Amino acid sequence: MTNAIFTGLMLGGMYALIAMGLTLQYGVARIMNLSYGEFLVAAAFSSYWLFTGWALNPLLGLALVIPAGFGVSLLLYRVLLTPLVRRARTRGALEVDSILATFGMMFIVQGIMLSMFGGAYFSYSFLAIPVSLFGEILALNRLIAFGLAVAVGLALYLALTRTRLGTSIRAVAVDPMAAQLVAIDVVRTSAFAFALGGALVAAAGVLISMFLTFSASSGVIFTMKALIVVVMGGVGNLLGCLVAGLALGLSESLVATFVDPGLTLAVNFALFLGVLLVKPAGLFGRAQR
Amino acid sequence: MLEVADISVAYGQHRALTDAGLSVGRSEIVVILGANGAGKTSLLKAIAGIVACLPGKRVTLSGRDIAGLPAHEIVEAGLALVPEGRGIFADLTVAENLLLGANPKRARDGEAARRERVLALFPRLGERLGQTVRTMSGGEQQMVAIGRALMSNPDVLLLDEPSLGLSPLLVRELFASLRKVRESGVGLLLVEQNARESLAIADRGYLIENGKITGSGTGTELMSNDAVQRAYLGGIVASAV
Repeated sequence: MTNAIFTGLMLGGMYALIAMGLTLQYGVARIMNLSYGEFLVAAAFSSYWLFTGWALNPLLGLALVIPAGFGVSLLLYRVLLTPLVRRARTRGALEVDSILATFGMMFIVQGIMLSMFGGAYFSYSFLAIPVSLFGEILALNRLIAFGLAVAVGLALYLALTRTRLGTSIRAVAVDPMAAQLVAIDVVRTSAFAFALGGALVAAAGVLISMFLTFSASSGVIFTMKALIVVVMGGVGNLLGCLVAGLALGLSESLVATFVDPGLTLAVNFALFLGVLLVKPAGLFGRAQR
Repeated sequence: MLEVADISVAYGQHRALTDAGLSVGRSEIVVILGANGAGKTSLLKAIAGIVACLPGKRVTLSGRDIAGLPAHEIVEAGLALVPEGRGIFADLTVAENLLLGANPKRARDGEAARRERVLALFPRLGERLGQTVRTMSGGEQQMVAIGRALMSNPDVLLLDEPSLGLSPLLVRELFASLRKVRESGVGLLLVEQNARESLAIADRGYLIENGKITGSGTGTELMSNDAVQRAYLGGIVASAV
């Protein structure tokens, strides 16, 4: 039981981290990024390549992969998405356009990874050392990944709530029209938020690659889980990401341990639908008027 | 300080504003009177860069050409708009709204002192810094909107129907606050339906009808103007009293 809860919390922490990047991209920049999971897998492959090819510790690899994730996402926003932003009359129109554009992007990124690495599953062994915690045996790499996920999430939360730049990012999320009135460049801020989301998903990809097997085509699972967490927690709400992520991780782990591992996806969606029936705007979301 | 000429705005086939022009000086309150749909809001939004204009407009602020700048750079140049419906961040707190108000680079120096002045002007905001704006009354939200605009250190403040939805007592309080803002050297341009109260504090005013400026004068001139009497001050009854 304790082990199932620990595993669930650690899994949930990762889900929360994954979802935080998407909630920035969707909640602030209004880009519904369907290629989100592909970028996570690309970061995982980068980490794999750095570890096996250059013997670079994945934790040090973060220092390379995170800025790369930021840069690539910024470029993507500037080149592919800015034209859509400029022509969109409403945020709704931008969402639809961005879904189509990033759906195409998904196949491009996936295709590149398939041609480079093939369709096989990859993993590497890094700090797969058992440690004992509260009488339970847990893998050190999972513990470190969880700890870093918590640290990144906390840092992001503080940055968004305690700094002027962070507050202006939230201002764009809640009211882009009013944001212009306080001299916020909405397109630039959106680009920054999108790139920050890219940096977060890169971090998540590296951390996940330390303990999970992945393949060129596993991105869609991560997109789906991130989307469930974002919508369940309330779009644009970091606290919602945390709570919904942990709830998802816990329910998966408990069901896999006590019922049937094959039912985890079903439980994901049951939880998702259950929350949306009671709170259509998500746990921490505010209904649109 | 603010000079505007030849502003025209069209929404599709509908012409909302034709060759409008006006000026606002330092420490001056200027009011625009007009019926619903006359083009008042379009005029303010066009000056603030929020709606696109037909070619040919000229807008200068303290001699600097600001026509065609994007909205966020116009704020940076020293012009702040309090739009109809207030345009504040309802999901954020009072303190966060004021922090964001000081987002323009021109507002960073002396931010603390300006915040003190805003809180002295609207003491109620000081008591409610941590409150989410959505949960406040209409009058308090208007204070947040004006306070936030003042935090941007504007040379000219544009207000779109600030008295809308406020009780007569609150309107009087609000206009008294605007007078104090004028004393600090800011020029104010306000659009109003409440002609009596707004002309009482105005130095000058313009009349707008069907998208055209049709008249102008000092506050007292407009107060006694026949057309204004008829349209906004209750006509014969008012003049007989």
